[in-house]
Amino acid sequence: MTTDKSLRLGEVAFGLAVLALGVFIAFETWTMPVVGAATTVGPRLFPGLIATGLIFVGLWLQLEAVTTGPVDAEGIEIDWPAFSLVASGLLLQIVLLETLGWIVAGTLLFVMTARAFGSRRYLANILIGVALTTLTLLVFDLGLDLELPVGSLFEPLFDGLQK
Amino acid sequence: MDTLSALFHGFSVALTSYNLMWSGIGVTLGTAIGVLPGIGPALTVALLLPVTYNLDPTSAFIMFAGIFYGAMYGGSTTSILLNTPGESASIVTALDGHAMARKGRGAQALATAAIGSFVAGTIATVALTFVAPLMVRIALSFGPAEYFALMVLALTTVTAVLGDSLPRGLASLFFGLALGLVGIDLQTGQARFALGVPELLDGIDVVVVAVGLFAVGETLYNAARHRYEPEEMYDLKGSKWMSKEDWARSWKPWLRGTLIGFPIGALPAGGSEIPTFLSYLTEKRLSKHPEEFGHGAIEAVAGPEAANNASAAGVLAPLLSLGLPTSATAAIMLAAFQQYGLQPGPLLFENNSSLVWGLIASLYIGNVLLLVLNLPMAGVWVKLLAIPRPWLYAGILIFATMGAYTLNNNLVDLVILWVIGLIGFGMRVLDIPVAPCIVGLILGPMAEQQFRRALAISQGDLSVFVTHPISLGLLLTGLLLVVVPVLLRRRRAKQITA
Repeated sequence: MTTDKSLRLGEVAFGLAVLALGVFIAFETWTMPVVGAATTVGPRLFPGLIATGLIFVGLWLQLEAVTTGPVDAEGIEIDWPAFSLVASGLLLQIVLLETLGWIVAGTLLFVMTARAFGSRRYLANILIGVALTTLTLLVFDLGLDLELPVGSLFEPLFDGLQK
Repeated sequence: MDTLSALFHGFSVALTSYNLMWSGIGVTLGTAIGVLPGIGPALTVALLLPVTYNLDPTSAFIMFAGIFYGAMYGGSTTSILLNTPGESASIVTALDGHAMARKGRGAQALATAAIGSFVAGTIATVALTFVAPLMVRIALSFGPAEYFALMVLALTTVTAVLGDSLPRGLASLFFGLALGLVGIDLQTGQARFALGVPELLDGIDVVVVAVGLFAVGETLYNAARHRYEPEEMYDLKGSKWMSKEDWARSWKPWLRGTLIGFPIGALPAGGSEIPTFLSYLTEKRLSKHPEEFGHGAIEAVAGPEAANNASAAGVLAPLLSLGLPTSATAAIMLAAFQQYGLQPGPLLFENNSSLVWGLIASLYIGNVLLLVLNLPMAGVWVKLLAIPRPWLYAGILIFATMGAYTLNNNLVDLVILWVIGLIGFGMRVLDIPVAPCIVGLILGPMAEQQFRRALAISQGDLSVFVTHPISLGLLLTGLLLVVVPVLLRRRRAKQITA
């Protein structure tokens, strides 16, 4: 597949996504239960307008993709493995954050992202990741009173230390 | 003079050693983060929000003022030495600034940008001091109908002006508006689009969306592209000082850039893209060496950089006096205000006058601090550009996820961040502007509220929007701004085919 073709495909997919979002909001608005007395303008009007707008723009984008083609016809190549590595690093962090804690989950994200950008110095990356996450944990938890999770797995350990 | 005494009071607030310290920390952090490639002022402000969570509002906003101006300075360094503008307003700086860097005149480009920003920032801050109270006076006569019309105008211009394709801008805008629907309807207390997730009842945070689109989206994009796009960095070499000729060619563009930048920025439909382009075109037309433009003309850096900074100060006028953000950065500042339970607008000047005037006074101070910080230390900031890309982007993600998580301490925000990040990646690939989405997200709910308030007062009579002259005028202006460019484009297309 040429990049031009795939870009046009992306264009069509984008238009479809906008359209789908519009239809979804229209459906949700339609089925939304309206509580209380009928006011002059209820909570449905704006979602209705936005749904209409989205559907209209979605159709317009389809038309543009079919007729004039992409504005930027050069097309670009995407390194999908690198993209997936970063995206799954972020997802892993979400899954692990509350059990393994900020330091472990954050370091994993750091190492995976660095790998996606071509770095293979795993040991150095782990050390920097640990240092960075520990530092942010200390600064924000102790210094600024924000709560970053230590991880439920390690919490007994910390409680033990405090006693 | 009312304004002057208020300003003096502002200085007495901003000049306490405690607040001076926060201003200093703000400009330093703002410059340091703003220098990092791919991070524009909007993202800098969003990433640094958590630092201020536990400050009192006045100090927090004094620090924000510093971050805001610092990020603008840092952004020009990246544009000039790396050719990676972090926001659309720096694109123009990158054109000739990077060309100068390639010729070994990077230091002069940085200097004219820094001094020009100082000159423009200071003049524009003076202008802001006097324009904001005037706008407050006008704003006091506004009812819900006028506010609604004003927001429609801001939304249409932010959308129509950015990018070359109207449907793409509209798609971004409507996506932002759709995100703004999530949460509890303020008028009836009814949940909308929360999909049964209790964390969504509070709505989707502007900061999460901004960090998702700018930081996560950008990192995903760069990860996917870095194999194909090698970066070239130009170090500072040779004389660091501007020659006599450089000064002679710079000072007029600084002043002209300021004159173009501030008024357009201060319009309720402003922003900073148009003034930078206008300044570039003006300088090219007036220059004795138009052939140098695009190949490293110093005027082409001096003018647009001044215009950029002047418009940034201008944008604060509608933000503070009307509560109307007209750029992505202003939208995030507004979100920051809301986090403190403050609503910018005429009442803020009355109820929190020491906060507002302390903030304005700290803009003067921030400007001076930045000049002191930047001219001698340009070399230090340049070192930050040399951070290896794997570490830089991995670090950006660490700070992005930390900021999103600490907002409400729940994982739902991280999930939203992830989804928005993927969407941001798609938008970056397909070249869809991001700012309309962020401005739509913050203005949409406000516009809805004013719309319904206006109709409640008029008892459902829709004609309030056209019978109030100010409201009608604003709506017509918005319509013209959308229709005229489309007609012009069509006419041009016809001429080409004919």
